[in-house]
Amino acid sequence: MTAETIIQSLASGLLMGLLYGLIAVGLALIFGLMDVVNFAHGEFLMIAMYATFFLFAFFAIDPLLAAPLVAAALFVFGAVVYLLIVRFAVRAKANAGMVQIFSTFGLAIVMRGLAQFFFTPDYRSVTHSWLGGKTISLGGIFLPEPQLVGAAVSIAAFGGLYFFINRTDFGRALEATREDAGAVALVGIDKNRVFALGWGLGAALVGLAGAIMSIFFYIYPDVGASFALIAYVTVALGGFGSVFGAFAGGIIVGLVEATTAMILPPSLKSVGIYAVYLLVVFVRPRGLFGSI
Amino acid sequence: MTPLLETRGVWQRFGGLIANSDVSISVGRGEIVGLIGPNGAGKSTLFNLIAGVLPPTQGSIWFDGEDVTRLPAAERCQRGVGRTFQVVKSFETMSVIDNVIVGALVRNTVMRVARRKAYEVLEFCGLAARANVLASDLVPSEKRRLEVARALATEPKLLLLDEVLTGLTPVEAKTGVELVRKVRDTGVTVLMVEHVMEIVMPLVDRAIVLDLGKVLVEGKPTEVVRDPKVISAYLGDRHAVGA
Amino acid sequence: MDTDFAKRRRRDLIVAACLAVIAALVPLFVKDVYVQNIMVLTLMYAALSQSWNILSGYCGQISLGHALYFGLGAYTTTLLFTKFGVLPWFGMLGGGLISALIAMALGYPCFRLRGHYFVIATIVIAEIALLLIQNWDWAGAALGIDIPVRGDSWLKFQFTRSKLPYFYFALGLACVAWFVTWWLEDSKWGFWWRAVKDNPDAAESLGVVVFNSKMGAAAVSAFLTAVGGSFYAQFVSYIDPESVMGFQFSLLMALPAVVGGIGTLWGPMLGAVILIPLTELTRSFIGGSGRGVDLIVYGTLIVLISLARPQGLIGLFSPKRKEAVR
Repeated sequence: MTAETIIQSLASGLLMGLLYGLIAVGLALIFGLMDVVNFAHGEFLMIAMYATFFLFAFFAIDPLLAAPLVAAALFVFGAVVYLLIVRFAVRAKANAGMVQIFSTFGLAIVMRGLAQFFFTPDYRSVTHSWLGGKTISLGGIFLPEPQLVGAAVSIAAFGGLYFFINRTDFGRALEATREDAGAVALVGIDKNRVFALGWGLGAALVGLAGAIMSIFFYIYPDVGASFALIAYVTVALGGFGSVFGAFAGGIIVGLVEATTAMILPPSLKSVGIYAVYLLVVFVRPRGLFGSI
Repeated sequence: MTPLLETRGVWQRFGGLIANSDVSISVGRGEIVGLIGPNGAGKSTLFNLIAGVLPPTQGSIWFDGEDVTRLPAAERCQRGVGRTFQVVKSFETMSVIDNVIVGALVRNTVMRVARRKAYEVLEFCGLAARANVLASDLVPSEKRRLEVARALATEPKLLLLDEVLTGLTPVEAKTGVELVRKVRDTGVTVLMVEHVMEIVMPLVDRAIVLDLGKVLVEGKPTEVVRDPKVISAYLGDRHAVGA
Repeated sequence: MDTDFAKRRRRDLIVAACLAVIAALVPLFVKDVYVQNIMVLTLMYAALSQSWNILSGYCGQISLGHALYFGLGAYTTTLLFTKFGVLPWFGMLGGGLISALIAMALGYPCFRLRGHYFVIATIVIAEIALLLIQNWDWAGAALGIDIPVRGDSWLKFQFTRSKLPYFYFALGLACVAWFVTWWLEDSKWGFWWRAVKDNPDAAESLGVVVFNSKMGAAAVSAFLTAVGGSFYAQFVSYIDPESVMGFQFSLLMALPAVVGGIGTLWGPMLGAVILIPLTELTRSFIGGSGRGVDLIVYGTLIVLISLARPQGLIGLFSPKRKEAVR
């Protein structure tokens, strides 16, 4: 194995990792806001990919143009899921943890069933797009353009999120609510509104990721499952709820995956990610960047 | 005869914060000892060190003639240390009797024996009528008594009470005081942490006052309340002595 | 007082015995192989969910990786039989013991984790095992293993002509899982587990060694789950990694308990009796015209029950208890 192929793999790993960060950040945001893990997160990604696909198939809209539309649609979807399901799940008195896990899991199963029913289990793909299949050569290293743009979008999204949380009124309300939901009610912030918007925002971010991923991944009803597990690992590595931990976690996951793929057969590449997750939580039970 | 409980030069640091510095206290068999002091005096930390929630940074803890410094909470319980929690920690989805049975199982693993023991303890604590109610349905003062009952079911030699009387109405506090006396009369030694002095002073045989992580004064309650150091430690506190 | 409790336990036992006898008589009237098949699966999932319930319901350690133990049972039995000619009965026992040991070995680091970190660790570990078996050529890799048919025999646990022996074994398994739970419920372990679930700190202060409690629950739960996996391998006589160790099994084991009532004696049984026939029937009646309907029905039910009846449907059968809960 030459130095060049190693650098090549690590560079692709880094790009993929930034995308993993973007997939995961919505999960981290929601967890930080209200201590809820959305077990339907992968299915959010799945419908975002389908939405991009259908915009392409019926209206010939390129995934890059579709991205903002899909993000907006997912925003609405996320807020609706909060208002219809999660709002009630967090009120549970008995078996609170269980209710929270299985209500979102149930939703995931329904979404997968609906996708199978309406979209069929067939594999779909966006057959041609502005970026699809193109690569850029940087000093002898070939980088696929879709992943490169995905990484750029991810960095931009994290930058935007940083600005949003620190500089805008709603961002501050979000931050205040995650610190003390009881106190914000006293100053007249509607907790449900903040939570719904938080869910919307989280879903919009995964929508953005889905739109870009549809350029270079097959689209099928179960596509979310494997990415969801990676997203949980990413979020857990970063320390649940830490939005910027998700960014770092994504990069780590991407690099670990690329490294594993160099050492083990490709079918085992996820083993590296899972093993790193276990190693990290066994040593630091609250993730790399989680507070103790 | 050796004291039942002894702490020898115990320190506890949390990062830069010193919660207990060089605390050496002892509790004799059959005593009721009050551990008091203003907020932030390090009472709760010392209490947790004795109960075995965490080991001290430095120093040792002796119980019944044995060094228990490194023993976890469960093993201290097996040796005869029972405790309650300041913020009650009932097993909410279990009935009152089942809560107590968990404690009784330390001594008797035969269910029928443990169950009978649990009923006895509930009767002793005046909770027998509520035996089959879910713990989550108890009112706060009953939950406090459940804490005591659960700890008593483990047949402790030393019972550690963490602010069991705080926040009760005068009538509830009076029955609480009676219960503590009754417990002592069965031969159990009691160490109780209280923030409010006037509740505990009539009850305890001896008081230990902590301030800023150190033992400030210890002695008979009547002497302690008059001690100028204690008065100044509590000064400005709304529960000032004699108020 | 005391007698109330003893009465309730005796009543549970009598009801269970009656139900078991009734279930045993059903095949005399129901000859349809398709229906018998559903009954076998229902009983198997009832047993599996009851096993899952011990660790996740009673002890409160939510595992979404129980497919690991199911798969271990299936693979141990099958590999021992096809490679070494060991009778499935020994394979069942061996698979159970191996799973119990592995559960404890994994529990050692995992039981320090709390909440979601624990749940995700269970998923991730099962997933690693799945990937490893998929790449293990000796064990058939992703293609799996066919169990050669050697004729009808209880010794070899193979029945080609009739499904009835499988039915009675599954019934026995469900009875054993129920009885073990019934027995443990009123034992030191049962009380320790519930205490650990409700409040580990308080449990520790009452002399409960929290870590050992979790280990005990994991071992019993994994053992029974693996026996279920061994049975399933014999029942379908063909296994591959995805079909015995896939994530969907972890979910399918958990869901009957969730629907029926988590941490209860009857919940998993009730949940399995409702869910499994429902899924199988939707799959075969509507399934033809469009795939996924079974998932939609299933998922909707889970969401509705989690939201509307977090204690599970079993609460509907004991109105007095319900009042106490509220």
